[in-house]
Amino acid sequence: MANLQVELCGVKFKNPVIAASGTFGFGREYNLLYDISVLGGISTKGMTLEPRQGNSVPRIAEGASVILNSVGLQNPGVEHFIKEDLPFLRKKGVAVIANVAGKTLEDYGEICARLDGLVDMVELNISCPNVRAGGMALGIKPENILEVTRLSKSNLKKTPLIVKLSPNVESIAVNARAAEEGGADCISLINTLTGMVIDIERRKPLLANNTGGVSGAGIKPIAVRMVYEASHAVKIPVIGMGGITCAEDAVEFLMAGARAVQVGTANFSNGNAMPEIICGLEKWLDRHNISDVNEIVNTLTLN
Amino acid sequence: MKDLLATVKSNKKIAENIYMITLVLPEDAGKMHGGQFVNLSTGNGANLLRRPLGVCIVEGDEVSVCYQVKGRGTQYLSTVEAGRKLRVLLPLGNWFDLDGYSDIAVIGGGVGVFPLIATIREYYKSKNFYSYIGFRNEDAVCLWNELNKSKKLTITTDDGSFGEKGNAVSAYLADRNNIRADVIISCGPPVMLKILKQKLKEEGIKTPCFVSLEERMGCGMGACLVCACKSASGENLRVCRDGPVFDINEVQL
Repeated sequence: MANLQVELCGVKFKNPVIAASGTFGFGREYNLLYDISVLGGISTKGMTLEPRQGNSVPRIAEGASVILNSVGLQNPGVEHFIKEDLPFLRKKGVAVIANVAGKTLEDYGEICARLDGLVDMVELNISCPNVRAGGMALGIKPENILEVTRLSKSNLKKTPLIVKLSPNVESIAVNARAAEEGGADCISLINTLTGMVIDIERRKPLLANNTGGVSGAGIKPIAVRMVYEASHAVKIPVIGMGGITCAEDAVEFLMAGARAVQVGTANFSNGNAMPEIICGLEKWLDRHNISDVNEIVNTLTLN
Repeated sequence: MKDLLATVKSNKKIAENIYMITLVLPEDAGKMHGGQFVNLSTGNGANLLRRPLGVCIVEGDEVSVCYQVKGRGTQYLSTVEAGRKLRVLLPLGNWFDLDGYSDIAVIGGGVGVFPLIATIREYYKSKNFYSYIGFRNEDAVCLWNELNKSKKLTITTDDGSFGEKGNAVSAYLADRNNIRADVIISCGPPVMLKILKQKLKEEGIKTPCFVSLEERMGCGMGACLVCACKSASGENLRVCRDGPVFDINEVQL
């Protein structure tokens, strides 16, 4: 039985499979389907200082092997999380990654200060493409990434910081380095690509928000390429995600340089996707006589 | 709630553009009630989203749901043959809980009829149903024998090609003094539910009324916050988990 445990920035994960933010809430619903303590970690629904109502419906649409969402950061606010959801997640014994977003730069500093020491890691959402007020602007340009990372890091004395990178950028390597320079302890990628689906009968976008974040199996090759580029541009650890559906997909990301992976959209197609990926990963390693999952990280050789 | 690989027993056209698919579950998923739904894979790997479909008929380890062919996903689903295995998450959501009621007015329209049929089947031996069901035309009429488990059944069509010409809400309003309904249950197109709410208010009808809503969904279990609707006070509710059945006065339509 291969070792699945990984360590990122001093935080232990019992396996490298983490629920991706936005698809998993705060874990309570999926815990009715299976015991979520089997997971390596959970990245929470993106939180803001104040509760947010999010966008109008429809908030979801489909393309070939992808989905688009425009939930718009509906969330109960960080205080609600600390009081109601964090104790539940703590009891479950999974690594808790608080995914946070801000309307303004200052919001990031404030929410990081509030969560410092309470969660295992903080993941900055600087690339949510749905919130006009902030989101995209912060996540595109390296100078902005540097600034928001620096401010967030200065408000985190105890908790390691992950910066989640947007793929809707000129150079993922440059942006990864900007996060590292700003003091990020870790980066995660990719967030969703921005897309649109049109209802041709109505000649209108299907999503009420017009555009949405594209995720799911169809984006995996793009994500693997970007994880490869980013992980070779920085020294800090990388968490890879984008279209992971099965254990073999996770292995691709690990080989490309990720130390752990996040799984999102696959949970919609199969509620048991993550426990199956964890189980499959162990079997894959055993089948290949590899005793430790960490041994396959960054083992890709280019042609 | 379980996420299972179910075997397709049959997948048949039952009306114009409407299909009924019967699934055999590999294990017990718990009791299923009328108003609850399943999140069913289309069988095409390119459709990552499952389709939320109201439970229609439950018999032993078999569950049947009906769907209208609307886009590529349901088009594909309609080609799925017996023997195929489809991933399904079930049972989901709340249901029409009729405990404490004896005479039920049922107002249904189009594909909204299927969860109502499940509810009639669940309770018809002990309660009286007075059903007012609207279809577009005679080609859309289906599952008459199930609807006919009602004590009284009125079918309306938009063009009068079957039953009475008109709509389900008007048919109920015209007949309401002849029945003594102590609760109304309804499911159908958003515009029908909106008119129902408006008419109940206008006519000062105080009978409790529960409606089942439809919305595009992601996870189906309340985690992803995709299928939002608004409560009367403007708060977000999750159609999949707080509903799909709501008191008509407690949601904005």
